[in-house]
Amino acid sequence: MRDSLRWAYGLNQWNFRLDVFVRHEDHRRALQTLAATGFDAVELPSGTGRWDTIARPEVILQNHGTAEAFLAFLRSAGVSRVASLFWDPSAPAEEEEGYAFRFARNPADSDAIVEWSHPLIDFTAAVGAEQLVVRPAHSAWMGAPLAPDEYGVLGDLWNRIGRRAADAGVGLALHYDCLSAVHTEDDLERLLAATDPALVGFALDTAELTIGGIDPVDFYERHADRVTHVHLKDTRFRDTGEEYRMPGAESTMLKGGAGRRIERWFFELGTEGGLVDVPAMVAALKAHEYPGWVVVESDHGSNPAELAMLNSWYLQHELGIPKT
Amino acid sequence: MTWTKWSYMDHWVTETPQGPQPPSFNRAYMDRYLKQLAALGFTGFDTFFFYLPVYAGMYGSVKGFEEHLQETGFDKITGIFSAYPSATRWTAPHVRETHDRIVADSEGIMRMIEGLSVENFIVMPTSTHWQTEPVTDETIKVVADLWNRVGRMTLEHGVKTTCHFEFWGAIRTRQQLDVFFEYTDPELVFAFIDTAQHTIAGVDPVQLFRDVKDRVTGFHFKDTHDVDRQEQYRTPPDPELQAPYTTRWFYEMGTEGGLVDFPALMREIVASGYDGWLTVEHDKAELGGGSYAEATAVAKHYIDTVLAEAERDAREGTR
Repeated sequence: MRDSLRWAYGLNQWNFRLDVFVRHEDHRRALQTLAATGFDAVELPSGTGRWDTIARPEVILQNHGTAEAFLAFLRSAGVSRVASLFWDPSAPAEEEEGYAFRFARNPADSDAIVEWSHPLIDFTAAVGAEQLVVRPAHSAWMGAPLAPDEYGVLGDLWNRIGRRAADAGVGLALHYDCLSAVHTEDDLERLLAATDPALVGFALDTAELTIGGIDPVDFYERHADRVTHVHLKDTRFRDTGEEYRMPGAESTMLKGGAGRRIERWFFELGTEGGLVDVPAMVAALKAHEYPGWVVVESDHGSNPAELAMLNSWYLQHELGIPKT
Repeated sequence: MTWTKWSYMDHWVTETPQGPQPPSFNRAYMDRYLKQLAALGFTGFDTFFFYLPVYAGMYGSVKGFEEHLQETGFDKITGIFSAYPSATRWTAPHVRETHDRIVADSEGIMRMIEGLSVENFIVMPTSTHWQTEPVTDETIKVVADLWNRVGRMTLEHGVKTTCHFEFWGAIRTRQQLDVFFEYTDPELVFAFIDTAQHTIAGVDPVQLFRDVKDRVTGFHFKDTHDVDRQEQYRTPPDPELQAPYTTRWFYEMGTEGGLVDFPALMREIVASGYDGWLTVEHDKAELGGGSYAEATAVAKHYIDTVLAEAERDAREGTR
């Protein structure tokens, strides 16, 4: 995709289950699919361990030897660079103390989470990516609502990691998700206020914000200076019944196990009944001369290749963005 | 310049609430399918004759369907595929008594696409080998007479009748192909090269193109891993799905272990001055858990990289 914005695509949809998207030929086909649809940069997904051969840094290095060799592998399949990496420290990983559970809200866990961040930051820098995109807090259903002083704990933690990232030459972007304990617009503004703008940016996800009841275009207009990363996808639903508070919301809400039984929340750009005003979002980014990556995503959807092609069609034919 | 006339042959299966189905499942699925092809840069659309009434129902008329294609990013419907893979009492190209019926069927198809600028009427010239054998020169002569008749008729509608040979059809060897081309009128009957089908039958598609290029009006670009060395082509009733030793015959371009030399074919095509459509086909891509969408994208990546380079080489005369 060639216009004034920089476009990338999230590989997370291919990595939809623990034991899939493991073999290099599977990666190659996904990368070639993205190349054929006009995307030549990718965001690497979050991962847990040995099967995350294109997600966890240590596993990528086991598979390819060096960051440069990994980049050469990407290039051989038509993708020229890595835009960003995603990391969710609340999801247990082998290399994070053997699947330890730690929480960003817990001051006693801060040092360990900072330690965990080092290989991710270093790998982000090694592959020439610009942003480490992180989940800043746990799911809301997992504990009591965040108390005001806990935002200070979160802010301190992410400032520390942001400084380490800045020292390595990469940015740190806090990603909003619709299940997060940082849920309302007030919560989000409180979190951003607790972090140093020089060290910590915001990853605006259009569908996640919309589901959470926050208008992404309006939010961007008021916080454009904090937005250093964008995930662009659509949704057909808002969480109007506080379904995010249901126990096990990753399944009960996002997989339709309870509540309104909505089995799929995220949709491709241009989906029928989509709630995200994608043209307005893209226009706003251009108006502000947004310099970061716009990562198109299709996670929690259906066939990844089909959705990548539909997203490409939308950008080409509805927004008039040349593919090459 | 890079080749722009790439079309897609209408084989797809996509996931629906009723299981994996063709995109003609309903209009929404059809629209999504066409957008995906357009996103990759396909501008021509080949389809089967039996889909024409389906699409007419969805889009108001066949013309309405073509207009929708154009709104999505295509140029037009480029080819219509017709076949009698199984010989029946009423329709069998090697049985002269059934020819009137086949000509009438073909005229019906021409009426369905009247007013469009479809270029190719792509036909399987014979039914299965096992139903037709023994295949003698006289058998081929009977078949040739049929397609001469059909070819004359379709030209009156501005459409070329072009023959697509199956590895399991009655005309499959190079010698049989040569006899067929000799018996058919080069002004009336044309050739359509399916790279995988010929390769499976032991015929080199590149050499075949070299030899009959003046009659070639189209291609199906697809790959295979196997040459049929065990007479699987004689398996009744359908060697494509019931061959005893090969469960999947067809693969997308770029597949590891593929037997077709696509760069060589591309260079030949450019050198020949051919300026028609090149068609990508994926037939039964879902076998073994594959995805038509991914197979199509991977094939297009191959076109954008490997074939683009072969085309450049040919235009610059460097190889």
